[in-house]
Amino acid sequence: MNGVAKKIYDWFDERAGLTELGDKMLNEPMPGGSRYAYVFGSILVYIFMMQLVTGILLMFYYAPTADHAYESTQYIIHNVEYGWFILSFHFWGSSVMVVMVVVHMSQVFLWGAYKKPAELVWVVGTILFTLVVAMGFTGYLLPWDQRSYWATTVGLEIADKTPLIGDFIGQFLRGGPTTGAHTINRFFVIHVMILPLAIMGLATLHIYLFRKAGPAGPRQRDHEMLTRTSEYFFPRQVYKDSVAIGIVFLITCGLAFYEPVHLLQEATPEPGDYNPIPEWYFLFLFQMLRYETFSGEWGQIVGSIVIPVIFMVWLIAIPFMFRNPERRLRHRKLGFLTWAIILLAVAYLTYDYTITEVH
Amino acid sequence: MIQPKIKMKVVGSDRDVGEVSNVIADPVTKSLSHIVVCTDDGGQRVVPIDQVADVSEGVVLRCSAVTVSGYPLLCRDDYTTVHQQEVAGLEARLDVDPGHTLLPVPEGDRDIPRRGFFTKFTIAINAVLAIPLAYPVLKFLIHPMYAPYSNQWVKLASTNQFSDADAPRSYRFKKTIKEGYLERTFDKSHWAMKASPGTLESVYQGKDIEFRDKSGEVYWVNRRNVPYVVFSGKCPHLGCGYKWRSTKKYSMAFLCPCHLSIYDIAGGVLTGPAPRALDVLPTRVTPGGDIEMIDVEFKAGRADRVRVI
Ligand code: HEM
Ligand code: FES
Repeated sequence: MNGVAKKIYDWFDERAGLTELGDKMLNEPMPGGSRYAYVFGSILVYIFMMQLVTGILLMFYYAPTADHAYESTQYIIHNVEYGWFILSFHFWGSSVMVVMVVVHMSQVFLWGAYKKPAELVWVVGTILFTLVVAMGFTGYLLPWDQRSYWATTVGLEIADKTPLIGDFIGQFLRGGPTTGAHTINRFFVIHVMILPLAIMGLATLHIYLFRKAGPAGPRQRDHEMLTRTSEYFFPRQVYKDSVAIGIVFLITCGLAFYEPVHLLQEATPEPGDYNPIPEWYFLFLFQMLRYETFSGEWGQIVGSIVIPVIFMVWLIAIPFMFRNPERRLRHRKLGFLTWAIILLAVAYLTYDYTITEVH
Repeated sequence: MIQPKIKMKVVGSDRDVGEVSNVIADPVTKSLSHIVVCTDDGGQRVVPIDQVADVSEGVVLRCSAVTVSGYPLLCRDDYTTVHQQEVAGLEARLDVDPGHTLLPVPEGDRDIPRRGFFTKFTIAINAVLAIPLAYPVLKFLIHPMYAPYSNQWVKLASTNQFSDADAPRSYRFKKTIKEGYLERTFDKSHWAMKASPGTLESVYQGKDIEFRDKSGEVYWVNRRNVPYVVFSGKCPHLGCGYKWRSTKKYSMAFLCPCHLSIYDIAGGVLTGPAPRALDVLPTRVTPGGDIEMIDVEFKAGRADRVRVI
């Protein structure tokens, strides 16, 4: 820095403590050094910020009311310069975020990075996971086309079946007995205010707890090797994160470019020729509910409520159930197997959906 | 500035007194105000910094050992360490050893019962402010949730549209509702048919269908001898819309594309996850030959029928 710039920097530094803050943030020692395996948390922070930026841009034109939501979305797609791109980036960004959350969870699970002292990092992470999924569900209604309408209607019918509280939750989210004007207002405020604020707060807490616990590092606990190969977060991990973020950016752009969002007819309770389907990451659940096992009143509650709730409870309980400090995978066969079975089951159900004909 | 270090030997004007165990900083002037001397008899004496003459090789005091033993003993509870209390700029001014630099607790905060009093009242004041808010906030949020039902009759079709028996068709109608301040008109549809005697028998199973409101009062009865049947367009499984069409297994049936529930002509479940038969709606035929219905809707996903609109 030359003389004047340095003077200005020093002036701010003296008052804001910039150098110390920067050093504390960036000189985080990472046992075992930087790796591409650790990029996924940073990718999530990046996508979330992109969703904030593109979401704020969309709000310049979008009108969250039942009589104008559809038109204003069409206007964004067809009339506003680059509107189609910003909307499609936001749309695909949500899918990328869901995929990356699952990859990040898989990475920290397979590395055993949730183990003591990082239990709370994991627990806050599981809440973030539900919030990311909730973001996808609430955002899906906002364009107010047939796809939106039916996915929300079916989704809320499912929520309505939750024992004891289901009726209240359903009515509360819908703002009445059916998907309508109040529903879109409510989903809007949840999607653009409540969930983003909650994610910002909890992601900050998540990263604070992570820094407090310290990075888990490699699975192998050879202290001499870990000390020798240790690196600061900056610059090598930041570089790797940036490379990965660049790739994710290009993929999202590619999806937005080659598969831009097109709306169907405006939302109405008259389905016409439209066959309702949810967002692709809910297809496994959708397909599961077609099975004989989950038929009838109770079967459906088991499939759409009991199993997901058990899964979430199991997820939150992971750091408290698997307390053995051993992190090497070959000593954690059961954990690995459970992870593989869950992912394979979801993949199989999704595949089964694609090969099932409606007849 | 004089900066004694922890563990330094302390020498009085006459003889050795002990060593430095802590230093005390003044949070206002951000300078050292006292040193704490651990005397050879084990007591900890608080010695003002102006008694320190030199610190180059151990602390040299201006006063004698006797004077030191006259200084007050350290009352540890009246001090915190730098870990527990943030004093802006202290570390920039002093060479601080965080664990051993003590900061006096302000006089007014040493009285524990009085602190407790302020804590309790702060909580009480905030509770008084917050609790009365809960009720209006809840009322505000649930305002639109429980709208009254409408038992208005709506024209769906007219009898002359039905020539063949057991040939259901989807009939559209316009529905206008006011949600809050917003009035909207949109399309909706139900399935209607002229039922053959056999089908009518399967739908009614020998009994008229009574429709009851929440209080249990009957607001309409569908007579089993009226051959026009209207099925709600909402699939009783999870609320999608179904179609009357040929399927692989059945020549003609109601099929829901969502989770593939299939219903027979009388609405009974043939296969699939649906928990109950299709919902028959309150229907009447006017003297002019119009088929009218009340657009009621029941919760999906339940074996019994719970009215939602
Ligand atoms: C919005 C969602 C999320 C964001 C923005 C986020 C962000 C981060 C970041 C930046 C890190 C730092 C290190 C790294 O990248 O590996 C991290 C670590 C971690 N995250 Fe997340 N995360 C999210 C969701 C989750 C979820 C769903 C879980 C698990 C249920 C989880 C569990 C963890 C754990 C256990 C670590 C510690 C990893 C280690 O010590 O190596 N996170 N997260
Ligand atoms: S909604 Fe019709 S089968 Fe599920």
